[in-house]
Amino acid sequence: MPLDTSTTYPLTKLRLDGRRWNELRLLQAQISTNPASSGSSYLAMGNTAILCSVHGPAEGRRGDATGGAAGSAGAVVEVDVNVAGFAGVDRKRRAGGSDKQSTRIASILRSAFQSHLHTHLYPHSTISIHVSVLSADGSLLAAAVNACTLALVDAGIPMPGLLCGCTAGMSGSASTPRDPNNDFLDPLLDLSLPEEQELPFLTVGTTTAVPVGEAAMVNEDEDEMKVAMLTMDSKVHCTYVETMLAVGIDGCKQIREILEGVIKKSARR
Amino acid sequence: MTTALPAVAIPGQRLGSIASYVAGPGTHVQNATIYASIAGPVVVGPVQPSSRTKSVLSVSRSIPRNAAPGANAPAKSTSAGKPKLRYNTLPAVDSVVLARVTRVQKRQATVSILVVLDESASSQPLNPSQTASDNDNIEAILSSAANPENHSSSDELRFQALIRKEDVRAVEKDRVVMDEMFRVGDIVRGTVISLGDQSFYYITTARNDLGVVMARSDAGNMMFPVSWKEMRDPVTGVAELRKVARPF
Repeated sequence: MPLDTSTTYPLTKLRLDGRRWNELRLLQAQISTNPASSGSSYLAMGNTAILCSVHGPAEGRRGDATGGAAGSAGAVVEVDVNVAGFAGVDRKRRAGGSDKQSTRIASILRSAFQSHLHTHLYPHSTISIHVSVLSADGSLLAAAVNACTLALVDAGIPMPGLLCGCTAGMSGSASTPRDPNNDFLDPLLDLSLPEEQELPFLTVGTTTAVPVGEAAMVNEDEDEMKVAMLTMDSKVHCTYVETMLAVGIDGCKQIREILEGVIKKSARR
Repeated sequence: MTTALPAVAIPGQRLGSIASYVAGPGTHVQNATIYASIAGPVVVGPVQPSSRTKSVLSVSRSIPRNAAPGANAPAKSTSAGKPKLRYNTLPAVDSVVLARVTRVQKRQATVSILVVLDESASSQPLNPSQTASDNDNIEAILSSAANPENHSSSDELRFQALIRKEDVRAVEKDRVVMDEMFRVGDIVRGTVISLGDQSFYYITTARNDLGVVMARSDAGNMMFPVSWKEMRDPVTGVAELRKVARPF
């Protein structure tokens, strides 16, 4: 590549788009964008733009072969991810939810929100989440998690906290053990698409943790976070995982403050 | 410690201790602390000085318009002139619902629940700008429900309910003929008496204000009620038998 992060970052400590290692891309969000759905949101993290709409809790489809909603003790979360044909650099012909990337993002979102929401309040019901990716520029799973959280809050579905996602990576190939004397790699926050294709990264999602035991008495003001979602596909030595996790969790904290501002601004409107 | 309640709560926000409040709708309790489950204004129920119960802390779904100037103070609920607070509604026992008849059999009628009405929905007309969920736009749902072309596509997504022969009216239960009470396509107001089995809620129309509220005649015209058991076509003048609800 003519310009890549692993060669230019050690010289200038700036990434390809001019950010430092711990800076998020511009996050713009809006809720109640679609009056036809129960809850809807639009979220843009940099050039990654996602529309999300939520329908439900509604009657589960009867007669469905895999229909667990009809007799289940809680609501069943269904996720449908649609990456538009014009979302990437090259136009894809079959724009639908049938490719491997959409199916994998949908299954991760379904398992994350199925265990996250208060589904026991809605027996025999289905909560349908529809995610449309308008533009894909890296951190697609993290942006989808944030958009789904905003849409579910707009729909009024109870949850114990906001589930926020973020990506974190390293500024070079991290496949060898970390050398404390010669540590030149830096963690990176909120990777864009060229960085994702080149560097190792992970996606982490955190939600509000409830202190247990004696921790409930101490640290009343400090909010602890629980890792609710974690995916990584890259080859990384284990000494770097903790650094990437810490940076990702801090990024989720920044995103949560931005999302809370969006919800409060919309609530006061 | 006296912590001020926020005016607008975010899911996961700590609201107070269960020693001070009782958790109401829109909140949940974990480790002796009340957290918000949905986003919206925090409502503290009135404290009864006679009884020693604690006030109920709840989070509703919509922001009242007149609460915007007093955004810093926590919202206190008063009975006079308060805009209606909304929660996410599913059919529950004693909910008043509007449903459309989809099948009439000898001993029961199958209906499809369109709207779950709140208790105050009958007394106050709904403000369209304050709609918080798809259950609230009742005029739009009813106008589309009266159109026969919308029946088949939207009915399978609604909750199904049954009106049994014994639940149609309170008097002369054994002489009820279901074909004289309901027709397919009628809009019925009823009360949920049970969550029922796996597929159906159970609905009763045995009160005076429950029954058919909108119906079309055989000629296809919208009929108006003339008595508790008759509706009349304004075009042809023909009267048809229904279990009619008392108008508001």
